[in-house]
Amino acid sequence: MQLQLSDTGDGILSISLIGRLDTPGVDVIETQLTARLVPRGARAIIDLSQVSFMGSGGIRMFITISRALARKGGKLALFGAQPLVAQVLETTSLNALVPVRADAETAAAVVRA
Amino acid sequence: MRAHPLEIRFPGTHAGFGNAFERLRSMLDEHHLDAVTRYNTELVFEEIVANLVKHAAPTDRDLDVRVILEPRNDAILLTFEDDGKPFDPREHLVRERPNAYADGQIGGYGLVLVRRAASAFGYLRTPEGRNRLTVTVPRGTL
Repeated sequence: MQLQLSDTGDGILSISLIGRLDTPGVDVIETQLTARLVPRGARAIIDLSQVSFMGSGGIRMFITISRALARKGGKLALFGAQPLVAQVLETTSLNALVPVRADAETAAAVVRA
Repeated sequence: MRAHPLEIRFPGTHAGFGNAFERLRSMLDEHHLDAVTRYNTELVFEEIVANLVKHAAPTDRDLDVRVILEPRNDAILLTFEDDGKPFDPREHLVRERPNAYADGQIGGYGLVLVRRAASAFGYLRTPEGRNRLTVTVPRGTL
């Protein structure tokens, strides 16, 4: 699991995750992602289009980071999930806790608000 | 057409789990499953093993886990066996979606996902003192 960072130009951080969010993948990425986002109270969107697998570990990770960000005035939204990953997001109703959108533009609008 | 069962045996440790998952994926590569069946099989494996390690692990030694994967015409049958504390995960499968805020902690999503991916479950405690859980993953069901 890898992450790639970019700035959208209006203060919103865009992060692409690449690989599998299974138990080993979450172990690799969670600390990095938390360190990049939480201390600065970031407003961030996360591109899931290159995540080929997600289980409950990924769900738990996003909820934990989102809560920590909220305490710092930041916000997180996810977008672009592949169909089978999207099914996991829907089954767990993650959108009720962490916004899930179809594309970068609508995800950015959520964290900008 | 029924293929031969595949077996993976591993310690219920972090490293054991990671290695076992890689072996599972290599085995599944050889069976050319459709994408949905493949995903659901990996998901059930990941969530059940993670749950076993969390709830059934003894305190004085590593858990011994054995997973048997049996491809059938209409489903994949997974059997999970371990030598840990008596633990029937089906008791947790009756829960509806966990409420992360009400519970005060985040958890329970794994078995929600398993319930969605699988069509049947069976559990027994063997005479040898092992937990045995069987999970049926129907082919091609999103």
